[in-house]
Amino acid sequence: MNTEFLMNSIWVMLGAVLVILMIGGFILLETGSTRMKNAGHIAGKTILTFSIGSIVFWAIGFALAFGKGNALIGFTDFLYSGYEIKGLSLSGAVYFLFQLAFAGISLTIAFGGFAERAKMGAYLIFAVLFSIVVYPPIAHWIWGGGWLSELGQQDFAGSTVVHLTGAMAAMAATMILKPRIGKYNKDGSANNLAGHNQVFTALSVLLLWVGWFGFNAGSTLSVDKGFFGYVALNTNLGAAAGTVAAMIISWVVQGKADVPMMLNGALSGLVAITASCGFVAPWAAVVIGFIAGILVFYSIRFFENRKIDDPIAALSVHGAAGVWGTLSNGFFATKALASVGKPGLFYGGGIHQLVVQAIGVIACGAFAFIVSYVLLLLMKAAMKGLRVTEEEEMMGLDMSEHGSYGYPELVNAEQKLNA
Amino acid sequence: MESSFAAIRRLRDDKMGEAAHDHFTLNKFHDEIMKLTIKKALEIITNQLGPLPCSFCFFVMGSAGRMEQSLWSDQDHGIVYREKNDEVKNYFWQLGKEISRGLFDAGYQYCDGGVMASNLLWCKSLEEWQIQISNWLDESNWESIRYLMIFMDARPLFGEELYVQMLKEQIYYIQNKSVQMTKFLNNSLYMKKGINVLGKLLTETHGPYTGSLNIKEIGLFPYVNAARLLALKENHQEPSTVARIGGASEAILPSRLKDLYQHQFIQLLNYRLSYAQHSNYHTGHYLPINKLTKEEMKEFKDIIRNGTALFNTVRKLIEKEDSYGN
Repeated sequence: MNTEFLMNSIWVMLGAVLVILMIGGFILLETGSTRMKNAGHIAGKTILTFSIGSIVFWAIGFALAFGKGNALIGFTDFLYSGYEIKGLSLSGAVYFLFQLAFAGISLTIAFGGFAERAKMGAYLIFAVLFSIVVYPPIAHWIWGGGWLSELGQQDFAGSTVVHLTGAMAAMAATMILKPRIGKYNKDGSANNLAGHNQVFTALSVLLLWVGWFGFNAGSTLSVDKGFFGYVALNTNLGAAAGTVAAMIISWVVQGKADVPMMLNGALSGLVAITASCGFVAPWAAVVIGFIAGILVFYSIRFFENRKIDDPIAALSVHGAAGVWGTLSNGFFATKALASVGKPGLFYGGGIHQLVVQAIGVIACGAFAFIVSYVLLLLMKAAMKGLRVTEEEEMMGLDMSEHGSYGYPELVNAEQKLNA
Repeated sequence: MESSFAAIRRLRDDKMGEAAHDHFTLNKFHDEIMKLTIKKALEIITNQLGPLPCSFCFFVMGSAGRMEQSLWSDQDHGIVYREKNDEVKNYFWQLGKEISRGLFDAGYQYCDGGVMASNLLWCKSLEEWQIQISNWLDESNWESIRYLMIFMDARPLFGEELYVQMLKEQIYYIQNKSVQMTKFLNNSLYMKKGINVLGKLLTETHGPYTGSLNIKEIGLFPYVNAARLLALKENHQEPSTVARIGGASEAILPSRLKDLYQHQFIQLLNYRLSYAQHSNYHTGHYLPINKLTKEEMKEFKDIIRNGTALFNTVRKLIEKEDSYGN
């Protein structure tokens, strides 16, 4: 066995582990950003849905995304058995795990739109459907030899494939499920249903930030010339610029450096740089991250004003920043690094790449939203509603869906105080 | 059965419309309502416990003490009585509780912090009060300084005015004044920002008052806190913010600035009176700025900026003196 094959396999395996560890980041992110009475449910369902997604992706999703097929879908390699994959200079099983981890992250993002009000059954069924019908086609179009990869779509590690897809499904869910009880007043003004633990949220961001080195740098799929280091450098710069930008904008506009906003800025910087980390110069990574940090601030306000209750800001962090990150290649992709597609507008490529990127965003965004919306409507009809009852929502999903609190002592104490 | 104070509440509701057009008339009206309540409570207590055992003073603090109440107000008050014994103590405590209950029935919600004559901390004999104030001054920790600042806004409303005057003098003529001033300053430094660096007013972003500005914390507090510090520095016992600003020496605030700050503070109270929705105590604190005309908006921002400027002037003065004093 040659050394390069071995090194690539170890590196991508490490990437896969880091990406799977990001599920832990999402557990802390969602739990910290929501209320105490739903904590156990949110933490537990994340592990369960990743498990369901893993099995479904192994059985069906991987084949649809990466099997041989046409421009729209793959249809070979169901029930992946661990064989080596032709044309890859790393272990096929490692590659599979890496792709599975990405599908799992996209699914976890989608569930951000379900938070604090969806029935447990809705999570389980949508985990299956998303892993077959929503994610694989898009992954196939861009990474599996589909029509967008033929067009030269640049999405290095998945701003569109993973983040925008997840966010569009989250948006469909958020719109169908309607806002949480108490989010909006009769006059239309929004209340701040603050998350119960900013420390969890901050730790989650660090965990995700570190995991993103696997996500982006791991997407080199090889150790050749140590290019993963360059990708990691851009990733870090994008995240840092997003954090600083969100902090500055919240300070300038609101007069206070808003902690949750700053954390959302970090994540939006990471999401935005995901598409471009392997195609742009470090200075551009700073600009891309910075703009993402500003964008997320206004995007959160935009959705809130439109009565779209997005408890963990999935639509803004993964959606708005995902769109911006994908488009940013159309501006900043350099001649030297544009291994796929063409250089961006600022590097003499004209608007060609920008148009390709825009087509990708529109096609994938629309597909993920429409398909998710239809699936959720069908589920709603079949399950007699996707949402728990008002009483169950008030008592919290820990109790209504599982019969025990994530923080039994604290919630009991709080209830006594409020009695 | 109708509450003993229901008639007072009816009177308040009937006449409030006439009083609410002007800030000064409104505050006089509040005084009348509160005095009626005290008299009624006294009547009840004398029926229950017999005649007054000694002279006393019922005083109000907070916005009532400063004569800066809006349509709705919460309770901030206390009692000081002459004689010190357990029977007298119980008598005035019962009176304090009755007045507090009466004020609640008359439309003044209870003070969240318990600054009421129904609380023994604020209902004491003159001698006990003198000891308490002396202790607060000696302790000079965050809580005791806060109590002293609350007490500085005291205004006798009923009974022997001299008692409150004596107690306030104890605070105003403190030893090591510059050191104490710094401690008072340190308890007043937090101010909610009202205008962002782009010059936009910072309104509430969430909740039932979205789009409105917290006029109490953003607008009034800088003036009120600065004026209170000035009063302490210059030994002026007047509790109202306008009088306190007026009482500052020419060297600290030239007449031109005094006039400006007094005028702007009164304008601020007028804005609150005219534009806030006074359906309850809380709504009265929020100014829906979209109701302001372009000119009013400009003036309003000016008022907010001047409040900060006044506070900064006072802060610098105290910091400077403390550095010389130490």
